[in-house]
Amino acid sequence: MPLELGDTTATLTGVVTVDEVEELAAWLQATAKPRVNLRKCNHLHTGALQAMLRFRPKVSAAPTDAFLAGQVLPLLEGSGGEPTRQGSEPP
Amino acid sequence: MNPLLAQFLAEAADLLTQVDEGLLQLERTPGDPEMVNEVFRAAHTFKGSSGLFDFPELTRLTHAAEDLLDAVRAGALPLDSGMTDDLLAAFDLIRGWLAHVTSNECLPATAGADAAALITRLRAPIGGEKVKVETTVAVARRDSAPAWLAYFDEEWLAETAAWLRTTSAQMRFIRYVPDSGCFFRAEDPLHLIRQVPALERLGLIEPVEWPEAADYDEYACMVAFVFAARAAVGEIDYLFRYVSDQIEVVDLDGDTIQRYLSGEAEADAAAPSEADEPGTVDTVRSSPSEPELVADARAILTAALRSLAINPTGHVHLVSVANAITAAAHALGDPVEIREPDVVALTATVTRLLGDTPPPEDAVSTAPIEPIPVDRGRADDPGGQVGSRILKVDQEKVDHLMELVGELNVAKNGLTFLAQAAEEEFGSRALSRRIKDQYSGLHRIAEELQASVMDIRMLPLSVAFSRFPRLVRDLSRRLGKNIELVLTGEDTMADKDVIEALGDPLVHLVRNSLDHGVETVDERLATGKPGTARITLAAVADGDAVVVEISDDGRGVDPTRVRRKAYEKGLISEEELETLSDSDAVDLVFRPGFSTAEQISDLSGRGVGMDAVRASVEKLGGAVTMRSELGSGTTVRLRLPLSMAVTQVMVFSVAGQRFGIPVDLVVETVRVPAAEMSRVLHQDVVVLRGEVVPVLDLARALDMPWTPDQTQDRAILIVGVNGQRVGLLVEQFHREVDVILKPMEGLLAYANEFSGTALLGDGLVLLVLNMKEVLGLAARVG
Repeated sequence: MPLELGDTTATLTGVVTVDEVEELAAWLQATAKPRVNLRKCNHLHTGALQAMLRFRPKVSAAPTDAFLAGQVLPLLEGSGGEPTRQGSEPP
Repeated sequence: MNPLLAQFLAEAADLLTQVDEGLLQLERTPGDPEMVNEVFRAAHTFKGSSGLFDFPELTRLTHAAEDLLDAVRAGALPLDSGMTDDLLAAFDLIRGWLAHVTSNECLPATAGADAAALITRLRAPIGGEKVKVETTVAVARRDSAPAWLAYFDEEWLAETAAWLRTTSAQMRFIRYVPDSGCFFRAEDPLHLIRQVPALERLGLIEPVEWPEAADYDEYACMVAFVFAARAAVGEIDYLFRYVSDQIEVVDLDGDTIQRYLSGEAEADAAAPSEADEPGTVDTVRSSPSEPELVADARAILTAALRSLAINPTGHVHLVSVANAITAAAHALGDPVEIREPDVVALTATVTRLLGDTPPPEDAVSTAPIEPIPVDRGRADDPGGQVGSRILKVDQEKVDHLMELVGELNVAKNGLTFLAQAAEEEFGSRALSRRIKDQYSGLHRIAEELQASVMDIRMLPLSVAFSRFPRLVRDLSRRLGKNIELVLTGEDTMADKDVIEALGDPLVHLVRNSLDHGVETVDERLATGKPGTARITLAAVADGDAVVVEISDDGRGVDPTRVRRKAYEKGLISEEELETLSDSDAVDLVFRPGFSTAEQISDLSGRGVGMDAVRASVEKLGGAVTMRSELGSGTTVRLRLPLSMAVTQVMVFSVAGQRFGIPVDLVVETVRVPAAEMSRVLHQDVVVLRGEVVPVLDLARALDMPWTPDQTQDRAILIVGVNGQRVGLLVEQFHREVDVILKPMEGLLAYANEFSGTALLGDGLVLLVLNMKEVLGLAARVG
């Protein structure tokens, strides 16, 4: 099971697919101060990433996966989501 | 060299000449449909055969030429001299390549570049559509940076700009705006980006305002991405092949980024920002070819081909290769659909794609394509040798050459007589020696000349065998028999005269086997043989002779029946009927007037029997023997000289006149004291090693007055004719000579006792005896 939803911490393991997105989003929405453990996560579906961007959980453990750690984690830990410059509006 | 390639090269030389001539003629009489057709066919054949080998450039170039010619043929284009020049240049280039192939078995390294230029020119008149490859991803090289560069981390951007400026390099920046329903199509944008090779940096475009938590739809994609990568265009294109309308790719250099960072591009960015609106990105299907993309796609296809060759099995492997091919094909603007990947289909697809796509001339040049100067091969350019040249020479010319070689031999032999005369008549030993030296030099050259002319005349026996598969098939159907024909040793070589003369006897023998030898299917099954009979035609070289065997596994010859039949026809005496051995009885079928077939069919038994076969083979200087076993088949063996052009004869004289006899027939020459000659039943005989050999007085048989000197030993030439030994009483033995036998013609045609005449070195005409006839003559005289 890629998703282990605790009281405050969700542990994401392996490949998080689109099937887990709804559950994760619902949990993030319902949890007051959500924390997400990405250590054993190998891939995040875009939907899961988007949900995390929306609800901004605290990443309690950084992923070991190189792509997630190198490219995706900085996005999640970004400065509140507002990019420095904004030329156009995403939909 | 691979025989297929050798053959291709030989044919190619012919085709090239054909094309050259055709094109030149077309220029003089434009629009001659027949001529256009001819040139087109030659080009087409060329393309077709070139596909057998690993010469993609050759295939592509001929393909382009073929397309142009096809358009001309269809009347869509008039052929002008510019096109003719291009076509000639193309075929000149091919000629050069093939010369390279002839020596190195590969195309020259410059082939690709040379071909590309010409292909562009060839394709130009027909719209050049094949050169312009549609691409799905347009890589814009812009001087101003797109506004979405803002979504990258500024610090990183600054570092990158500095690095790119230092290295004068570029980086590829991509914006990917997935549409909101993409999750439902099982797309995962992040997963796609994850696969981008050499990903440098990922940036995120978040919605300006996230919906309220309650309204949040986790299945609507609201984010977009920007990323920088060093991946090739082909790779990007491949990965994003299903969402190519959602990405925008730009290549930026350090200066552009720097300008953007310093705010210079702000004004610029305002205008295009509308077009940059995510979701409304309209990636132009680029019409000008993107050389790098084509190169990448080609690289993928080449790799796929290699991978197919190395590992042609495994479904998973094939599927992935198929995917790669589909993507590459898409990039080349030639979408293919591969449903059931299998090796053959994939290989064919890749080969076609590669063949259809010229390699881009220049991977980076985006400048408008200027007419590329083509290095035209000049007509006086030697151009190298394509294949080994094959001459088609009229047979008569070779025959004439052979005659001349014969004359040269005769003239050469004259020198020995001259040497003799120099010594005996003019008493000059020194001169005689010098003449002999000259003779030996001339002799060597004449021998070589003769050998090479003989070699020209050599043909493989397949020429004689070629008609039999059809003949056997037709006849076996007509006779309702099942027959399998087996040919072996077709590549055995023999003189063309022999091959030609062999035709009729062979047909006769094969027909005989079909008609009399092989039983019907029912008969065969009843005797426990397989229903399908087998007739074998086998040729094998045996020294200076060639042996051809025709064997069948039919019913064989019944010696008892042959004996009875021969007796009934009066061919053998009652005594012989009793005593003849089985093998001798089988030989009776060669007697004139013998035919055992109960029923004369339209196949064999047209009045020509086996005697005709034996006669014609013996006329060639050969021999026929038959071996047969009742119930299990018959084998007829023909033994023929490899060449009939030159005959070795033994020269002897009788009553002062010289005669020749083929050396093949000579068993030995003996000198017997007159006293040892004896007479048995009015026939002179001599006893040699316990065997009684009849001796014919040749002078008497030929009606020439001569009385042997009683005091001298008798010179007796023992010859073997029809397996029997006969002695010929002659006056003197001379040497053996190689002569070119000329048949008796004109007024002498009636003289059957001579098989021909030959000219000797001293100018004398030598009559060569036909031993069979001479024996018959002697019997009548005796």
